[in-house]
Amino acid sequence: MTEVPVAQKAAAFEARIAAGEKIEAGDWMPDDYRRQLIRMIGQHAHSEYVGMLPEGEWIDAAPTLRRKLILVAKVQDEAGHGQYLYHAAETLGATRAEMLDALLEGRAKYSSVFNYPTLSWADVGMIGWLVDGAAIKNQLMLAQCSYGPYSRAMVRICAEETFHHLQGREMILTYASGTPHQRTMAQDALNRWWWPALMMLGPHDADSPNSPQLKAWRVKTKSNDEVRQEFLDEHAPELLAAGLSIPDDDLYYDEETGHWRHGPIDWAEFWRVVKGDGPCNAERLAARRAAHDDGRWVREALAAHAARASDRASE
Amino acid sequence: MTADGQLPRWEVFKQDSSNKAHAAVGSVHAADAEHALLMARSVFARRPSAVSMWLAPQWAVHEYTREQLAEALAAPGQQLAAPAHYLVFLKTSDRRTMAAYEHRGEVIASGANDALRAAVPAELPLGVWLVEATAVIATDPADAEPWFAPATDKRYKQQSEYAVSVKPQPAGREGS
Repeated sequence: MTEVPVAQKAAAFEARIAAGEKIEAGDWMPDDYRRQLIRMIGQHAHSEYVGMLPEGEWIDAAPTLRRKLILVAKVQDEAGHGQYLYHAAETLGATRAEMLDALLEGRAKYSSVFNYPTLSWADVGMIGWLVDGAAIKNQLMLAQCSYGPYSRAMVRICAEETFHHLQGREMILTYASGTPHQRTMAQDALNRWWWPALMMLGPHDADSPNSPQLKAWRVKTKSNDEVRQEFLDEHAPELLAAGLSIPDDDLYYDEETGHWRHGPIDWAEFWRVVKGDGPCNAERLAARRAAHDDGRWVREALAAHAARASDRASE
Repeated sequence: MTADGQLPRWEVFKQDSSNKAHAAVGSVHAADAEHALLMARSVFARRPSAVSMWLAPQWAVHEYTREQLAEALAAPGQQLAAPAHYLVFLKTSDRRTMAAYEHRGEVIASGANDALRAAVPAELPLGVWLVEATAVIATDPADAEPWFAPATDKRYKQQSEYAVSVKPQPAGREGS
């Protein structure tokens, strides 16, 4: 059989993308498509995994049994979402062991937003409303991704993530119309989480070098700024309607375009946090490493048990 | 452990309700069949839509994309000592979905390539997975209730439990 030239394969690949087809694991794909997807999906998986930590700290301190059950279920979901995504990256040839090593050794990135501390119980609600609210906008976009396994993982995640968003929104709305102390707690949480939530959707389009190629391949179907605008247009009016103030003096509603506009984002802070120097980067990685080390004996015991059972079966 | 330092990988096929087909939802890594079933329940059945799960070790799953089908259909059949039984999963659409490869039937053939020729309909599907039936483990139908009911009872995981409305105020510069 004669080998098809790469240029011809690339043209056929691009035609499939243009026709709205989903690329599957065994299909030919450009090396860079594979590499970019492994990078993105790996970062996304790590974000779900590290994302268990800021809220997980509050499980013991949940004020009611109902809130505790909700939070336990949400943290379990984040673990599950990490698994869906590690699976999607694995279909491209990455291994879970390599990805986990990269995370634990500090070589892999994850969402900047999880490097901020959760200082009060209301942070759990505000993370649900804002951080999960921002994440869903991004995930709905990625559910249309041209790579089948990533797209399907995203559809499954979006269906579950809506619960995370709504339970947080319900909690904050309750506190915003509650006692003075509850209102203060909700406002304080908003003051600290507003900007990290806007930042987590990534640099402005002009500073996002991978975006044009990712859009051409329909890995992403919207730019960072487009997704951030959707987030802002939904959340700004709802937060204000709840009687909370958004910590941005430059925020306004633009009548002409029908969009909300935010003030300048502190990108120096964003890059500091992404590059490892946020308030909790060291603590988050230390917690993940401790969990990995503490679980070692379980993994070893499972492997030993399976090996012995298989020896017995072959006797 | 396998050579790459991980527990073996198992593909998971979940059935959402008794009138639907099992479909590929993802994978777990697990030491043995019992561990794999427990992992699959934790990862893929935290919500009510599950009545049965099948799992297969990755080595028993033969995957073909549309691109790969033509070549595989033309390849000579493997000669096995005895005919083997394969479960057939087809992908027939690129629509937005959680699970694209659905169970469509079974074939008996003397190898994966022969099974493919028997399994593939005249109108080529977008993808085919053949799963060696003897390697498949399944949840026990007798255990379905205790195995899956807890997800149904946890109503607080449903978005319908949070039907709170908030009325956006008339738009305007904040604080003005």
